[in-house]
Amino acid sequence: MKFQGYFVEDIPRRKFLELSLKGGLAMAATPALLRSLLAGDTAAKPAVDLEDLNTVIRRALSQGGEFGEVYVEHRLSRSILLEEGKFKSAVFGISQGAGVRVISGDKTGYAYTDEITQEKLIRAAEVASFVARGAKTIKPVDIKEESRPSYITVKVPLQTVADEKRLEIMKRAHDAALAYDARIKMASINYYDEVRSRVVANSEGLCLSDELPLLFFIVQTLGVGNNTSHMGRERLSRHSGIEMFDELKPEDAARTCARESIVMLEAKDAPAGKMDVVMQNGWGGVLVHEAVGHPLEGDNIARETGVFVGKLGKKVASEKFTMVDDGTLPCFRGTTNYDDEGTQMKRSVLIQDGVLIKFMTDILSAKQLKMERTGNGRRESFRNIPIVRMTNTFIDRGKDKPDDILASTKSGIYVQSLSGGSVNPTTGVFNFTCREVYLIENGKKTTPVKGATLIGSCLDVIQGIDAVGDDLDFGPGICGKGQAAEVAAGQPTVRIRGINVGGSRAR
Amino acid sequence: MDYKGLAEQLVKKCLKKGADAAEVYIENGRNLSLEVRKGEVETVEEAASYGAGFRVFLRGRMAFSSSNDLGEKALDDAVGRAIEFAKITTPDPNNVLPDDKGMTEIGGLYDPQIAQIPMEQKIELAKKIEQLAMKDSRITKSDGARYGETEGEVVIANSTGLAKSYRSSACSLGVSVVAEKGDQKSSGGEFCGARSYKGLKPAEEVAAKAARDAYEMLDPKPVKTQKAAIIFHADVGYALLGGILGAVNGERVLQGASFLGTMMGQKIGSEWVTLIDDGTREKGVASEPFDGEGVSTQKRIIVDKGVLKSFMYNTIIAKRAGVKTTGNASRGGFTDLPGIGPHQFYMAAGQAKPDDIIKATKIGLLVKEVTGYGINPVNGNFSGGASGFWVEDGKIAFPVKGLTIAGTADEMLNGIEMVADDLDLSRRMGTPTFRINLLQIGGE
Repeated sequence: MKFQGYFVEDIPRRKFLELSLKGGLAMAATPALLRSLLAGDTAAKPAVDLEDLNTVIRRALSQGGEFGEVYVEHRLSRSILLEEGKFKSAVFGISQGAGVRVISGDKTGYAYTDEITQEKLIRAAEVASFVARGAKTIKPVDIKEESRPSYITVKVPLQTVADEKRLEIMKRAHDAALAYDARIKMASINYYDEVRSRVVANSEGLCLSDELPLLFFIVQTLGVGNNTSHMGRERLSRHSGIEMFDELKPEDAARTCARESIVMLEAKDAPAGKMDVVMQNGWGGVLVHEAVGHPLEGDNIARETGVFVGKLGKKVASEKFTMVDDGTLPCFRGTTNYDDEGTQMKRSVLIQDGVLIKFMTDILSAKQLKMERTGNGRRESFRNIPIVRMTNTFIDRGKDKPDDILASTKSGIYVQSLSGGSVNPTTGVFNFTCREVYLIENGKKTTPVKGATLIGSCLDVIQGIDAVGDDLDFGPGICGKGQAAEVAAGQPTVRIRGINVGGSRAR
Repeated sequence: MDYKGLAEQLVKKCLKKGADAAEVYIENGRNLSLEVRKGEVETVEEAASYGAGFRVFLRGRMAFSSSNDLGEKALDDAVGRAIEFAKITTPDPNNVLPDDKGMTEIGGLYDPQIAQIPMEQKIELAKKIEQLAMKDSRITKSDGARYGETEGEVVIANSTGLAKSYRSSACSLGVSVVAEKGDQKSSGGEFCGARSYKGLKPAEEVAAKAARDAYEMLDPKPVKTQKAAIIFHADVGYALLGGILGAVNGERVLQGASFLGTMMGQKIGSEWVTLIDDGTREKGVASEPFDGEGVSTQKRIIVDKGVLKSFMYNTIIAKRAGVKTTGNASRGGFTDLPGIGPHQFYMAAGQAKPDDIIKATKIGLLVKEVTGYGINPVNGNFSGGASGFWVEDGKIAFPVKGLTIAGTADEMLNGIEMVADDLDLSRRMGTPTFRINLLQIGGE
């Protein structure tokens, strides 16, 4: 059981499969897809039809409650590992199931089943209805199928790709990594793809279905020096067909990763204490994902525990700071057509020019806070209750030039890439582990230093951001909050004054 | 349902469809989790589920598939997918299955009573622990109390004739609360886990600790960047263990990706450092009769009085290294291949009282919370965030927050100079309270 503290994880290889399940984007929402899902196309399963789903929702609300929902999911996944020159393993996953949820006041009941049969769904509805016993109820609206626009495009569907193609992509990355430098002693290439199909139907009459492809490609390389070693990492991910690799070249990812492994072999001890930090554009946005994003999730606001409770409409950050969660960025890792509760994805500006203007919500927290639904209700799989999660979260671009930001920083550290970190959403205290860091001396990036931890508190950091570049970029990751979710985080180059750096020597 | 019979039958199906060797791993079970806040039930989640994983071998090539649909057609499909997938992997003579027919006898892993206790009683327990944690006036908000339980069966059968299963159960109880004072917020949470309902710690004890962790950190003061002694409280000593675990993983060692790779038989820490991996303790939360591929579990000394004694292996990696498996095949579930992982991994207790360690410390940091990834298993570097108490002249002086601590595994393990007697074996990973002589602290 995990308390407090949400994290974005650096992925241990063996954990990869376990963590990197689940996805997010809509390709095509057709009645044919819905039917094939409910009927099951890989196995002999009794069909469940729309009227059956209506029956399940009615049964879910038979004891009381004001919201009933059925979520049906089917997922096919492939994971292949190329390491030490060998295709060591290939893992194929077939997963299916359905969850039934009942909301009554602030209470949630949830039950799921691996078997998609009417009998099991009814049983799940009965179990989920336990929390609503004796509460007032509503008459569910009969469900009606609808279509939604899609934020992803697929040219070459993953289902049509021969395994040889996957192996070739992996081999290209592997060979490019080893060719980069003789000190690269090992490359590890993890290829993962999945196609997740889902149906969401609820007592408001909503009924949606779609199919979400997802690619996740992780390169790790081991650099070995005279008396130290460094494992580098680079990740590519999109909701896309295999054509992702035409644009994001596996060789480029491998070289980026190998470069990090080699550069960091020369790393000296990092300084300790408070100093100015310049963060390069891209995945560094995970810092605001943790430090600011999690505390802006509506569940901890509704619980009145979060650091931003009572701060809506107030100035909480420097005027240069604007933060956005946008689940509609085409094909991004954190994008979906609609969230796992069926709410349309949107662009939500959370903090505008330093002023807090919006929280992210799911259906439950939107109701509790009497706020709009922002499309942030997501779940790891049919085994999980949807909770408030981020999608693609970033610091919006500013006007400063990245070169000027560095040149005007007399001393401090330059963070080129971060692994990940965590936050306590109640106190806003966060930590991050750096992957690639340099000293800044007289406005110049100089010596690489060992991967130090950065710590601070949410409000201090967003008030201390005094330069925001015009070079917004993103990176893909996995966010953990009891459940895993695929997200993207982004930022332009920014400077933060006075962060505590966990170095191993005095300055 | 006879899942063991099903597993044996499925092994035959794999062989019939063309595999030279095969393993079937089945899990089935049920779980319940409930959360209470402000005296009311907030969520109740309940489900039963199952699934099967197939590991197949084809002339030395290995692949895996899993399915949570146990219908015949779905199982046929999954086995077929695994065999097809095996054709693309690289042959390796080390790709073999264990034939261990034995099983470690361990009592108290399954409590049939858990399921018999009515839901209402479990809800009452969660309500009670929340109420107890809110008792202190410094505690202003509840972040919820939780009760969870799970029970299930693990079945493994393979084509060497190995076929075994065991049942286990677990339940957990926890609460988190917030203390506020002016603009200050401080959170505290505590939980406990056990194999049986009766094995849970008293709600009073868990609640009091959650509340104390929150309120005692109010009114922190800053300290300067400096080097000082660091006392790791028993609650957070595990932060040191994760990186060591990564470094004693036999596969990382073979890959040259471990800072301990060339240190077998050598001194890696002070004489106070004894690390044990135990899969056999009665009622142990991490105990199991056999590991993730059916090999009997053991109790092993990994580091003995500072000397590195053992790495951890599963069958394939052990064969590659030319040693015997240590029974450390770990499994994330039926959807995953066996990897390498610990059972209960802990630092052996010493004789000092935790208070004696504080009394013996002139200037130092008593760490109550560590954040970050711990020791880097590749190069042994450590850097983390820390909060806790500043110790002066043998006494706790004031709370401190927002500090960093950093060093290397070498400095930390060799710097351990006092170890207390307060090891808590109800956690999967833990240490007693211990002191490191000197480490860099980052502050003002």
